[in-house]
Amino acid sequence: MSGRAAVVHDLALEAYGFGGDHPFNPLRIRMMLELCEALGLLEDYAFVVSEPATDEDLTAVHSLTYVRLVQEAGRGGGDFLDLMHYGLGTGDNPIFPDMHDACARVVGAVLEACRMAMRGDAAHAMCVSGGLHHAMRSRASGFCVYNDAGVAIARLKEEHPGIRVAYLDTDAHHGDGVQWMFYDDPDVLTVSIHESGRYLFPGTGGVEERGRDGGVGYSVNVPLEPFTDDGSFISCFDAVVPEVLRAFEPDLILSQNGCDAHALDPLTHLSATMRLYEHIPRRVHDLAHELCDGRWVATGGGGYDIWRVVPRAWAALWAAVSDQELPEIVPDDWLALRSAQSPVELPRLMRDDPTDYPPVDRAAEMASRNRRTTEQVLEKVLPLIH
Amino acid sequence: MLLVKDSMTREVVMLAPQATAGEALALCREKRIRHLPVLEEGRLAGIVSDRDLRAATPALGDPDRAEALGKILVSEVMAREVATARPDDPIEEAANAMRERKVGCLPVVEGEALVGIVTSSDVMEALIYLMGAHEPGNRLEVVMPDRPGTLAGVAGIFGELGINIVSVVAGPRHPLPDSMESGRVAVFRVDTMDLRSTVDILERAGYAVLWPPGP
Repeated sequence: MSGRAAVVHDLALEAYGFGGDHPFNPLRIRMMLELCEALGLLEDYAFVVSEPATDEDLTAVHSLTYVRLVQEAGRGGGDFLDLMHYGLGTGDNPIFPDMHDACARVVGAVLEACRMAMRGDAAHAMCVSGGLHHAMRSRASGFCVYNDAGVAIARLKEEHPGIRVAYLDTDAHHGDGVQWMFYDDPDVLTVSIHESGRYLFPGTGGVEERGRDGGVGYSVNVPLEPFTDDGSFISCFDAVVPEVLRAFEPDLILSQNGCDAHALDPLTHLSATMRLYEHIPRRVHDLAHELCDGRWVATGGGGYDIWRVVPRAWAALWAAVSDQELPEIVPDDWLALRSAQSPVELPRLMRDDPTDYPPVDRAAEMASRNRRTTEQVLEKVLPLIH
Repeated sequence: MLLVKDSMTREVVMLAPQATAGEALALCREKRIRHLPVLEEGRLAGIVSDRDLRAATPALGDPDRAEALGKILVSEVMAREVATARPDDPIEEAANAMRERKVGCLPVVEGEALVGIVTSSDVMEALIYLMGAHEPGNRLEVVMPDRPGTLAGVAGIFGELGINIVSVVAGPRHPLPDSMESGRVAVFRVDTMDLRSTVDILERAGYAVLWPPGP
């Protein structure tokens, strides 16, 4: 283990996006990297460039028919009814040119990040293009075409027989795709903390979804009340994550760091701030050192306020991955670069001012409901993990 | 797909009337079930539940229990009046029959033959499929004015936005907020991450969105 962190990225990864005014916009990746650079967080870090995932990689979790159809769709082909059946060409998952190539590159990047961590080429690795957690075996879903975490975990299992991977998902949406892919597998622990499916896509992720057959106990779900704030989110995270990870004893932690639980996010109803996005990766960093010699791969995920939230949240993620201090001020250079284009006023500080985010009504009631949810998880799921 | 034959269990665990209460309880434990149809000469003669069996035998720890379990016959405990369903009955009819008769299951018969059993758990599973709760989607509750064409209006808005409907359950009367007109509520499950403009457009078109609820 070199002790260094790695960023897996190249410009080609920014081709994964749906164009027009679709909420999933790869400009957020560009802006996040520009912000890191302006903050001085990328000094001496050369981007690691990776190969696209092969068909063999992809079919570790996806059906070949689906992969062939995505390839055809990206070339402008595919029968309309077939495409619909596989979730392609819908409002959420429109077809875009060369979509197979763009998404296979994202998967390849996350796979390379995982292999680097396993080889010890890097202590920790980050690929913010990854985190496409809704993609199913034979279906595009929720802006996700291929499931990067799913492929990476399945390939690691082939390359390192007996490996135990902890997948930790703090996106505001339930990490359903990854959960279902490993639902009966006791060597893959999936943990998802998200806004309750009663109120938000994809609607699943209740505490009672605990895994199946030999994998019972190895799917952990913490559904949170709408308008949950930093304090309650952090106490749920701290109550559940260290306990379940310690019980599981992973060889690698793969985290999905969607930042759409932020109060400004337009697609969800949670009320977190930058405090959460500094806390989570610092905690995961500590746990990776405590439990698995530091082997930790961090990906991005959701995040739809691409101006005020995503660049800062993932800059904080990179600061934690690379073990650097997060500066306080958003550099003028970056503001000058992006202000004119931004439809909203860009923040001047890296951290949010709590007075800008007053507690919502019923905050105490929500916190106590969330507390009961974590108690259920600790009583009913934790004891099943070995 | 919402017929009894789509939801019923086909491999039915059953008993002869001469079986003992002890054998019947052991079978319930082993197969983790609560109801056993009783078959006599290939015909349904009755049904017995683990509750009936427990009620008819001495309690656990009673010194007479072991003997009683070996002596009491299923034919003495079973209910002879059995509510049944047929394979082609709609599942909601079976559900209603279970509710009316206050029973947890219905043996399914075709002519004279016992071909399956449908239980309240099967009805619950049908509800999950009916609501699309096993598929990715966003839950939306909409109150529509109670007149022809309003459901089509909601569906048309989804269609224009390119949003697929995973499931829709419509019907129960519900007051239409801020209106003299009566309404009906529909629960949709729609395959989209982004409901922002949808809720707006629905409300401007005169529908009331009850779910997801506001702060």
